[in-house]
Amino acid sequence: MSLCLFESVISRPYIYKAKVAALILSLRPQFATMGKATHSSSSSIDSSKHPTLSSASSSLYHQSKTNTDLSSDLRLGLTLSTSTSLLPDTLSNSDSREPSTDWPPVKPPQRNTVAEKGNNRQRPIFFVKVYMEGVPIGRKLDLFAHHSYDGLIATLAHMFSITILYPNMDRVHSDKDHVLTYEDKEGDWMMVGDVPWEMFLTTVKRLQITRADRC
Amino acid sequence: MSYSFPEEVLEHVFSFIHSYKDRNAISLVCKSWYEIERWCRRQIFIGNCYAVSPRITIRRFPELRSVSLKGKPHFADYNLVPQGWGANMYPWVAAMAQAYPWLEELRLKRMVVTDDTLELISRSFKNFKVLVLSSCEGFTTDGLAAIAANCRNLRELDLRETEVDDPSGNWLSHFPESCTSLVSLNFACLEGEVSFSALERLVGRCTNLRTLRLNQAVPLDKLANLLRRAPQLVDLGTGIYSAEVRPELYSKLTGAFAGCKELKSLSGLWEVVPAYLPAIYPVCAGLTSLNLSYATIQSADLIKLISHCRNLQRLWVLDYIEDSGLESLAASCKDLQELRVFPSDPYGAEENVTLTEQGLVSVSEGCPKLHSVLYFCRQMTNAALFAIARNRPNMTRFRLCILEPRTPDYLTLQPLDAGFGAIVEHCKGLRRLSLSGLLTDRVFEYIGTHAKRLQMLSVAFAGDSDLALHNVLSGCKSLRKLEIRDCPFGDKALLANASKLETMRSLWMSSCSVSFGACKKLGQKMERLNVEVIDERGPLDSKPNESFVERLYAYRSVAGPRLDKPSFVWTVDENSAMRLS
Repeated sequence: MSLCLFESVISRPYIYKAKVAALILSLRPQFATMGKATHSSSSSIDSSKHPTLSSASSSLYHQSKTNTDLSSDLRLGLTLSTSTSLLPDTLSNSDSREPSTDWPPVKPPQRNTVAEKGNNRQRPIFFVKVYMEGVPIGRKLDLFAHHSYDGLIATLAHMFSITILYPNMDRVHSDKDHVLTYEDKEGDWMMVGDVPWEMFLTTVKRLQITRADRC
Repeated sequence: MSYSFPEEVLEHVFSFIHSYKDRNAISLVCKSWYEIERWCRRQIFIGNCYAVSPRITIRRFPELRSVSLKGKPHFADYNLVPQGWGANMYPWVAAMAQAYPWLEELRLKRMVVTDDTLELISRSFKNFKVLVLSSCEGFTTDGLAAIAANCRNLRELDLRETEVDDPSGNWLSHFPESCTSLVSLNFACLEGEVSFSALERLVGRCTNLRTLRLNQAVPLDKLANLLRRAPQLVDLGTGIYSAEVRPELYSKLTGAFAGCKELKSLSGLWEVVPAYLPAIYPVCAGLTSLNLSYATIQSADLIKLISHCRNLQRLWVLDYIEDSGLESLAASCKDLQELRVFPSDPYGAEENVTLTEQGLVSVSEGCPKLHSVLYFCRQMTNAALFAIARNRPNMTRFRLCILEPRTPDYLTLQPLDAGFGAIVEHCKGLRRLSLSGLLTDRVFEYIGTHAKRLQMLSVAFAGDSDLALHNVLSGCKSLRKLEIRDCPFGDKALLANASKLETMRSLWMSSCSVSFGACKKLGQKMERLNVEVIDERGPLDSKPNESFVERLYAYRSVAGPRLDKPSFVWTVDENSAMRLS
């Protein structure tokens, strides 16, 4: 894996995030007035609906979140990224479409094998298993969807509803916190965050979350 | 009234009736038939593990030998159901270990199976014969080792598209040397190495082996050895079909295949090296089923291979086959019944192969028995769909996935309503339909009007309003499963058709416009419907009634509300019912 691959992967989403951010900000005033209208129109069985109203109603649930966490929006808001009636054509059809694991509907064996080995792979995928202490079943995570430890920690914290400590963190530790470790190519368990992100990606095999007071 | 036949006679008659539907019908005739039938029922199929409980099942059917169980909803295959949702197999096995010590078969789909569960199975059922785990997860090869070691009469071990953690090759070695009963062994989905010597010895001594599906870790030269030990195979899944080109390996392989006179089904074929493909030609004429969905070879090689397979009934292939390959398929394989074309680059925005609507039209023209289609492509026209509908009124399963959501007819820029309308109008026996492309409420009008035999409908990024959902729910008389994602469907259609939901197995709606209040109402109103709100965004009880839910999963059940639900699943229970009033 060459470093230039990472550079191109890293630089793209920032542009995408800026576009989505601009979009959300520009739509917000509409939602305030559309809110009630949308609700009542979605409850009428009337086939002649205003197109933007109908798609606004399908993404209304994004507005019910008080927290404007963009990375969560991107992960959860698939409707936003593929809804052609809300977005300008460039965003919906461009190569910066956020790849997701739920569309198109292909099953995991198909997804991994061919996406990795196909000739014209547009975006690499790298799944690792994440095990939470006390839970026998691991969860899968695409490390290539993240571009730094910050993104990874945020995703894991959200996935498992916990707080994770890592090196150079500037806060007081508590008993409820967890630590994140990974198994490397040699089979050794290391603290996540010790090596540069790119190096981490070349050596990580799987991740584990344990309670801080156990370490 | 006791002038019916003696019980023994009725039981004997019933023993010839195997179909679930017929058995269910028998049990409805009268109370004594219900009683006799339930004591002699030996196999059962439960389409939704939460529709009934182990206790209820055991109470009604005390003498089962074979249980088939399905857990998570279908969209779980595409990551739409969060981890930890449920479908745990352990409680079922724990109950059956007491009630059915003579259980022989378990066929599970989308269930969570742990190592403990597998170990319990291996220790509890002395005559256990068949274990099929389709799209399951939650266990490691340790569990498999327990099954191999303890199930003395094991006939089938079939792991289909199942996720197995931490594979270590030793599990296969746990089959004792005395084991000769295997008829079917499928470990194609495992990632790790297996002990080749253990595998060869196992295959050699199981002379009744008919199905053998290897995983990618088994190289070509080992395949040749295995085939020579098992020339009686009917169903083969190769391992990795790639090696440096070596003449002696090539002739070894050709000889091995030539010895397999009974082979009907071929799969596996990871990373095919075209130079080794002709080794398969000796068996091609006998093949009825060919799965090339991992074979990353180009159209020309595919065409050559398929032209040898004149008796093919089922073909699964990547879109590398292109329109030209499908034309060739239409010309050579007149017995074709099922075609699945998968995307080689599902996440790419650009077209990488020339696979269009034309390929599917060719096959629909040339193959008179074609009735089951799954087709991933990037463009479609209404004209093509008209042609397919007219050519193949015998279509029973039609699943079309245009990769980019809301793509219109690329020639006219119109929605694809009319095209899909033609499908449901002409194909009167259509049982399963998946829609894609740009679709308005109109297509759902057509579906509600014409799709009277439709049992399963999958909808994504389609429709404009509740009228669409209303048309489907009120018009499709045979509907059993409805799964919807990212459509602007909401409360009104749902509540207006609440009683329809009890006639179906399940309804799934995610990223739609269904409010929490409506879910509460639905759950309260319909006693035998379990309404689940699956939402990972925080505590559910405090959500305002107007907020939209992430996911709704509603299914009929006689077992009452789930007792094993995780924190992100909300269901109606006594407390929330009281809070509403």
